[in-house]
Amino acid sequence: MPLPKFKYLAPKTWEEACAMLAQYKGKVRVMAGGTDLLIKMSLGAAAPEYVIGLKNIPGLDYIKYDQTKGLTLGPLALLADVADHPMIKEKYDAVAHAASVTATVQVRNMGTVAGNICNAAPSADNIPALMALDAEVTLARLGGKRTVKLDDFFQGPGKTVMEPEELLEKITVPAPLPGSGTAYLKISPRSKVDIAAVGVGAHLVMAGDVCQMARIVLGAVAPVPMRARKAESLLTGQQLTTDLINQTAAQAADEARPITDVRTTAEYRKTMVYVLTRRAINACAQKALPPCAK
Amino acid sequence: MSKYSIIGTNTPRVDSPAKATGRALYADDIKLPGMLHGQILRSPLAHARILNIDISKAAALPGVKAVITGEDTPKVKFGNWRLFPDTQDEYPLAVDKVRFIGDEVAAVVAIDNDLACEALDLIKVEYEELPANFSVDESMAPGAPVIHDYRPDNISLNRKIEYGDLVKGFAEADFIAENTFEVHAVSHAYMEPCACVAQSDDDGRVTLWTSTQVPYIVQCLLASTLGLRENDVRVIKPVVGGGFGGKMELRAWEFCAAFLARRTGKPVKFRLSRTDELAYGRRRHGMKLYSKVGFKKDGTITAKDFRADLDGGAYNSMGPTATFLCGNFGAMLYRYPNYRYNGYHIYTNKPPAGAMRGFGAPQALFASETQMNMAAEALGLDPIEIRIKNAMVPGDQIPDVATVSSCGFIECLQEVAKMSGWKAKRAACAESRDGKGMGVGCYSFISGGVFNWLYTQYTFSAAEIRAFEDGTVHLLTPATDIGQGSDTTLKQILAEELGLRMEDIRLTVADTSVTPQSDLGTWGSRVTLMGGNAVRDAAAKIKKALAGVVSLKFDLNVIHDIGFKDGKIFPVTRPDRCLTFGQAVHMHQKFKRGEPLVARGYYVPRGKGLVTPAFSFGAQVAEVQVDRETGIVKVEKMYTAHDCGTVINPMSVDGQLEGSIEMGLGYALCERFVMDKGRTLNTTFLDYKVPTALDMPPGESVCIETFESEGPFGAKEAGEGLVSPTAPAIAEAISQATGYRFKDLPITPEKVLEGIGGLRKV
Ligand SMILES: Cc1cc2nc3c(=O)[nH]c(=O)nc-3n(C[C@H](O)[C@H](O)[C@H](O)COP(=O)(O)OP(=O)(O)OC[C@H]3O[C@@H](n4cnc5c(N)ncnc54)[C@H](O)[C@@H]3O)c2cc1C
Repeated sequence: MPLPKFKYLAPKTWEEACAMLAQYKGKVRVMAGGTDLLIKMSLGAAAPEYVIGLKNIPGLDYIKYDQTKGLTLGPLALLADVADHPMIKEKYDAVAHAASVTATVQVRNMGTVAGNICNAAPSADNIPALMALDAEVTLARLGGKRTVKLDDFFQGPGKTVMEPEELLEKITVPAPLPGSGTAYLKISPRSKVDIAAVGVGAHLVMAGDVCQMARIVLGAVAPVPMRARKAESLLTGQQLTTDLINQTAAQAADEARPITDVRTTAEYRKTMVYVLTRRAINACAQKALPPCAK
Repeated sequence: MSKYSIIGTNTPRVDSPAKATGRALYADDIKLPGMLHGQILRSPLAHARILNIDISKAAALPGVKAVITGEDTPKVKFGNWRLFPDTQDEYPLAVDKVRFIGDEVAAVVAIDNDLACEALDLIKVEYEELPANFSVDESMAPGAPVIHDYRPDNISLNRKIEYGDLVKGFAEADFIAENTFEVHAVSHAYMEPCACVAQSDDDGRVTLWTSTQVPYIVQCLLASTLGLRENDVRVIKPVVGGGFGGKMELRAWEFCAAFLARRTGKPVKFRLSRTDELAYGRRRHGMKLYSKVGFKKDGTITAKDFRADLDGGAYNSMGPTATFLCGNFGAMLYRYPNYRYNGYHIYTNKPPAGAMRGFGAPQALFASETQMNMAAEALGLDPIEIRIKNAMVPGDQIPDVATVSSCGFIECLQEVAKMSGWKAKRAACAESRDGKGMGVGCYSFISGGVFNWLYTQYTFSAAEIRAFEDGTVHLLTPATDIGQGSDTTLKQILAEELGLRMEDIRLTVADTSVTPQSDLGTWGSRVTLMGGNAVRDAAAKIKKALAGVVSLKFDLNVIHDIGFKDGKIFPVTRPDRCLTFGQAVHMHQKFKRGEPLVARGYYVPRGKGLVTPAFSFGAQVAEVQVDRETGIVKVEKMYTAHDCGTVINPMSVDGQLEGSIEMGLGYALCERFVMDKGRTLNTTFLDYKVPTALDMPPGESVCIETFESEGPFGAKEAGEGLVSPTAPAIAEAISQATGYRFKDLPITPEKVLEGIGGLRKV
């Protein structure tokens, strides 16, 4: 299918973008890298009359870190830049890794983390990692702002709590605690370049071999990226043993609600939730930052 | 030192600068003044009768220049097997009935592509849906819906090969292996989706630029479907981005472009999308293979009974050839003293399968190589040793079908064992419990087909050389470079023959009105041998003429051999008495009082049996690491030893090997069509998974050079056979690593886990 006709708007400021969004509400889509949007449009899955390109607004691709505020990603922070950023690699290993295993070099050079979130695919690679780190997004509209935790952001495949006249302004991830370790693991069974059939993001805060806090997020096994809360609770306050880790992984597999589709089967997905959760917990424990005192 | 100047040297491809810089012109790059854009309406149903087609709304849309259905066409069926007209079962546009989702029903041309797409939506087709068959088993069941009336049993054809005494052979066996294998359909996944542009000219001729492997076949079949004479059709091959067998027939859009160019008087372009290609395109045959092989205790084969059920899809396409070749390859590699093959090509309501790299060999050899590995295991023999014991040698025959001429198969097996450290590593894998495995697979392939199903009365290949007094020559060849590198190879052959440099040769290729009749195209690994022989035949004529000039000039005794090297022509024993190539042409020209020096060469294989003038051979070893928790297979290394005769261009042979491994990986592990009742669900590369550069394992290879007397400079094929050993080698390695035997492809992680009992219940 040819790309349908649309009018391309290129605001020069953030305010202008918000105003346009309000003005053309319902008939407009925002575009960051376009690696999801343009494909949807050429497949006929989206047919906006207007497309607002953000790339003419200077300075939106920032990546900032602050000891108290943590990590902030601008709406145009590129997957490639996040993947390569030395500070993110050091402090938010899972976030950098998730970006680095998203798509291909070409797509990472165009696509953004914000786009990955807003697109809200259950298989999106960056979401489980960010959610495991308790990230939140700031949504802006003409004359207003609100913040939403990623935990509460997704409503279904392609559906979020974002209103039509809202823009994602930034993504914030709290500063890592001492003893925290993060991991994102993905399985794409058929090739190194592939959409995740299952993705698991995990974040553990360790005090010695005791797990003080655990967050486990499963991708591509439910309509939205989901927390495996019962599995998390098995770990909290416990000493990490092989048995406990296996039990937690099995619990996560139980919580997953996968389907069979063109990519793989529900059985395989469940099995991989088990395998990846186990591996992710182990990886978090190993990578945990200098421990906090017991 | 080599006796050759260019043969056997790494010669960069003549087309690579243009491709690397984007200057190369593919069919879709062609834009002609006033050109219209076409789109094809395809059937949304797998099997249905067409009751009515209403084109009025589409035709009335401003900007739409023509809308046609099958009723507007001359209704001539086509198919490459002109020798057996009843195999020609496809109309360019459906008449009365559609037989698969994607069957071409109508075509539109408009002033731009958007309008053409819009017009498609305005065509209203009334169908009466019919019950359909989506598998070979469904099609063969009693009372199954009939897909083509002329074949009430849905079996489009049955090919047989039989020799020896099967009963006696099995009676002599100590061990009989009897297994069923199943292999799936895969896409050619060529980089360039099909495209073509047609223009009708004032001379009454229609010209078609098309992305094809077979310009001459397209010319013949386009002429018959349009009701024209062959010479009224000119087919030109622009740069082509791969074919792998998927572009070796006349196709609906080629017909529609030509038909509509004639009807509208304007140039017309059709181009397919990747989704069109994946959802409706030709593919490799999925097959069920039943194989029974008898062995003596020591591994000697006594007999083989082999049957293949091919899932042909809705039309024959190149299925008849694949059906026959599958049986031929089932008899290759080893000495089967008694052999029977029965191949059934079966219609189903799915996109037709056709020719694809290997042409029946990947399927036949997956079965026979896997079975060989299983037999070795059952008999307690080493898989390579059991192969050496039974390996074909020069002079071996498939009675009445083929004779093996040059053959370095045993050397390939010995070499691959040596280079891979087979004995020790394989034993180590057997010991280890950490998911490591090692396996072997082998192949043999044809260097061009002898069978003349097109029933051409021209030669199989031809060449014309025009020599100029500036020291250059012009080679006109109908040979069709689709990316495999034949332009380079043919230039190399000619440069070697005439003692010229690559840059002294100008090339005009694959234009049916300009290049000499004829060439059957690029398939069956025929071009180096057949095209190369035609070039050599023409070169010999040029050489004879110029040798005469040198003889005359230096008053040489007739017994002198005349050499051609470094741009000079000279008596071999007195190289000082030389003329440059240009001087010799100049003098020849003078002597002939102005008549240009032109020579034509031809090649037709004769006395070479039914199949091919020459077989290639090879053996490959795969090392894998299986993650027993995820089922993911990592191919760690591939070792290949192969016999392609004389290597003309080592770089090119390496490229073919790497491409083959990539295709073999996809076939073995990840490529497949996910289908639901005749509808393909994975229609983009997002979900139709072709291995990428990142999935490629490192490899080592050795060419076992034999001299093939029928091939140019001793060469035979290197482009197609290599695609076959990879899947059985990997399958064997996985089986060793997991302890579970895989007899079906592809071996996905899901299947691995299922095999070893590692899947969790939902
Ligand atoms: C070949 C290929 C491979 C891919 N592989 C992967 C993969 O492995 N893993 C994976 O997760 N994804 C993959 N993707 C999907 C895609 O590349 C990612 O989701 C990417 O992060 C999208 O970012 P973008 O900037 O291109 O988004 P866009 O396409 O620009 O936008 C995506 C959506 O978000 C909305 N949007 C974007 N920015 C904002 C904003 N600031 N405010 C409000 N709404 C906004 C858009 O309106 C649109 O709906 C792949 C895509 C391709 C083409």
